[in-house]
Amino acid sequence: MDLLQAGHSVEHLLHASRQAPWRSQRQWIGVVLLGALGLAMVASLYLDITSQAAIAGREIQDLSNQVIGVEQVNADLQSHLAEITSADAMEQRAASLGYAPADSTKLAFVLVPGFQAPAPEILVATQTLRPSAASMRPEYSESLVSWLGRQLNGLGSPGPGGAQ
Amino acid sequence: MRERYAGRSLTIAVLLAFIAVSVILQIIRIQTGPEADVFRALGIDYGRFPKTFYPERGAIYDRNGHMLAGSKTVYEVGVQLSEAVDKPAIAITAGNVLGINAEDLLGRMEEPPAGLQYLVLEDYVESDRASELRQLQKTSIALAAQGQASRLRGLVLTAHPQRDYPEGALASNVLGFVSREGRGYFGVEEKYNSLLAGKPVRVWVPTDPNKAADIPRVPDGTTLVLTIDRELQASVEQILDQAIEKYGAQHGTIVALSPKDGSILALASSPRMDPNQFWNYGVVYQNASEFDRALSLPYEPGSVFKVLTMAAALDSGTVVPSTPFLDTGIIQVGGATIRNWDDKAWGQQDMIGCLQHSLNVCLASVAESMGAQTFYRYMNRFGIGHLTGTDLAGEAAGRLKVPGDSDWYPVDLATNAFGQGVSVTPLQVITAATAVANDGRMVVPHVLHAMVRDGRQYRVPAQYSGSPVSPETAHTLSQMLAVSLENESSSALVPGYRIAGKTGTAQIPGPVGYEDGATNASFIGWGPVDDPQFMIYVWLERPSTSIWGSETAAPVFSEVAKKLVLLMSIPPDSVRAEIAKP
Repeated sequence: MDLLQAGHSVEHLLHASRQAPWRSQRQWIGVVLLGALGLAMVASLYLDITSQAAIAGREIQDLSNQVIGVEQVNADLQSHLAEITSADAMEQRAASLGYAPADSTKLAFVLVPGFQAPAPEILVATQTLRPSAASMRPEYSESLVSWLGRQLNGLGSPGPGGAQ
Repeated sequence: MRERYAGRSLTIAVLLAFIAVSVILQIIRIQTGPEADVFRALGIDYGRFPKTFYPERGAIYDRNGHMLAGSKTVYEVGVQLSEAVDKPAIAITAGNVLGINAEDLLGRMEEPPAGLQYLVLEDYVESDRASELRQLQKTSIALAAQGQASRLRGLVLTAHPQRDYPEGALASNVLGFVSREGRGYFGVEEKYNSLLAGKPVRVWVPTDPNKAADIPRVPDGTTLVLTIDRELQASVEQILDQAIEKYGAQHGTIVALSPKDGSILALASSPRMDPNQFWNYGVVYQNASEFDRALSLPYEPGSVFKVLTMAAALDSGTVVPSTPFLDTGIIQVGGATIRNWDDKAWGQQDMIGCLQHSLNVCLASVAESMGAQTFYRYMNRFGIGHLTGTDLAGEAAGRLKVPGDSDWYPVDLATNAFGQGVSVTPLQVITAATAVANDGRMVVPHVLHAMVRDGRQYRVPAQYSGSPVSPETAHTLSQMLAVSLENESSSALVPGYRIAGKTGTAQIPGPVGYEDGATNASFIGWGPVDDPQFMIYVWLERPSTSIWGSETAAPVFSEVAKKLVLLMSIPPDSVRAEIAKP
C-alpha cells in the first residue's frame, strides 16, 4: 500500500513537473539556444573558411602581380644583356683590348676527327613550369555553401571514379 | 504592471515581426520582380571588371642565339585627378623629370576633358626617369606632415612592355619594326606579327578574391630564331655602306644565303633606320618599297640574268658549252638593233666566251634559237614574274612580259635574254640561281630557322620550289661560270676558293627610254663550286666612280665572300680536299 502510494506520488510529481510552465519554457529556450549555438558554430566555421579562402585568393592575386613584375624585370635584363653584348659593343670592346678582325691569311685549319660544326642555336630544351592552380582540389578553394551545393548536385549521379 | 509590460513586449514583437516579414517580402519581391534581371546583371558587373591581357611579344634571335628584338619596360605617367591634392607640385615635378613644360601640364590638369578622371601626362617613359619619379614620390611621402597627404599624391606610374631592338639599326631591313599599338610593320615583324604578338585575351576579372584562380594565364607570343648570322649581318652592312661611299652609289643591296636550303644568312639594304625610333620612318624612306630593296624594289638586272638564259639554253639542248658563236657585235631582232655592251664585235666565241665577255648579241641569238615559248617556259620555272614565297613582308613580284601580253614585242625576247626589259628583285634572281648551285633544285629563301612556343622549339624545314633544270645542266653551267671568272681574272675571285658568278651592268629605264650614263651594277656568285655553301647577290644603284658591275659589284662580292667563309668557318678548297681524302 505504502509502495503504491509512493508510486502515485512520484507519478504526480512527474506529471506536475511536465506540466509546469517554467519547465516548458526552459525546454523551448534550450531548443532555441541549441539551434542558435549550432548556427553560430556553422557561421563561425563558414566565416573562418571564407576568410582563409579570401586571404589565399588575395595572395594569389599578389603573386600573379609579382610574376608579371618579375617577367618584366627579366625581359629588361635580357634586353640590357643584349645591348651590352651587341655586335657593335663587342667589336668596340675587342678593339679596346687590342684585338683586330682576322682575315683568311691568318687562319690555320686543323683537322679534328669527329668534329661537328656548331648547328644553329637551340634556345629551349626544357618544358616551362605550369601553375598548379588548375590541378588544385576544389576543397581548398571553395566555400562551405559551394561545397554543400556540389554535394547536393552530386547526390543523384556518381562522382568521378565512383561508377560501379 | 506585469500585464502592461507584456502588452508593450507584444507590441514591439509584432512590430519587429512585421519589419522582418516586410524585409523578407521585399527581398522576395526584388528577386522575382520585373527588375530582378537588371539587378542581377548589376550584381554580376559589380563583382568583376573587364581586362584585356596582352601577351608579351615574342623575342627574335639570330641563328646563334643573339637577341635581335626583345621587350623592355616603359611607363605611362598619369594623374588620378580626384586624388591630386597639389596639382602644381605634380606638374612641376613631372615636367622637370620628363622634360615637359610644367605650365602645359598644369593647364591640362586644371582643365581636363569633361568626365575624365585619369589624365595621361606622358607615355613610353624610360625606366630611369620613372625610377626618378618614384623616388621623388617616396621622398614626398616621407616629408609629408603627419596626417597630411603627399604633395605628389595622385601621380600614377603604370608599367607596360615596349619593343626593344638591342642591336639598333642592325638587320632593321629584315626585322621591320613594331608600332606603339603593337602592330608589326615590314620584315619579320609584319610577316609573323600574329605569331609574335600572341593572342590577346579579354576576360572578366573577379573582384572576389575567392575566384582569383579563375584569372587566365595568357601565353606569351612565339619567339623566333632566324637564319641570320649577326656577325655576318654586321659585316655585310659595313661592307655595303663602305661600297656605297667608295663607288659613289646612291643605294645598295647585298643578299647572302645558303643555296642548299635557302637560309638567308645576311640581308643588307640601304638606307637603314633604327627600329627603336620607328617614328623616323617617314624621314628615312620615301615609300614602302625602299624599306627592303632586296625584295620590294624590282629593277632591270642586266647581265646577271644571262645565268638563267644560259641555263635554259643548256637544259633545252639548244647549246652546249662548246657551241661556237661568231660575234659580229650587232644583231637585228624584231626590227630593233641589239649591240654588245662595248659596241664591239668579239669574233669567234663559244658559250663560255659569251658568258665571260658578257656578249648581249650572243645571248640574244641563243634566245632566238631557243624560241620564245621555250625561253619563257624556263623563266616561268625559275619563278621570274612570281613571288619567291619568302617569309619577309613586302615582297614584289616584278614583271616579265610574255608573248600574248599587249606590250610584248619580239625584241623583248632578245633584250630579256640579257636582263633588260624585265624587272626582278635581287631575291628573285638569287632564288632562281639556287637551282644552278643546288643540283637543279630551287629553294625558297627564308629567314625563319625555328619557333619557340610553350617551352618547345620547332624547327622550320627548308622548302623547295621546283627543279627548273637538270643536275647535269646545273653542274655544267657552274663550271662554265667558274671558268669564265678565272679566264677573266675577275675581281670577284676569292683566294683559296673556286667561285662561280656573273656580273651585270644594266641601263636604267627612264620616262623616255634608257638614261644616259646611269647603270645598276650587279653581281651574283656562289662557292665553293664543288660544294656550294653560300650564294651572294650584290646590287649597287647608280655607281658614279664606274658604271660597270665588274669594277664595282664584283669586288664587293669578293669582300663579302672573304668575310663569309671566315665567319661561317668554310675551309679553303685545298683543306676540304685534304679532309675528303680517305
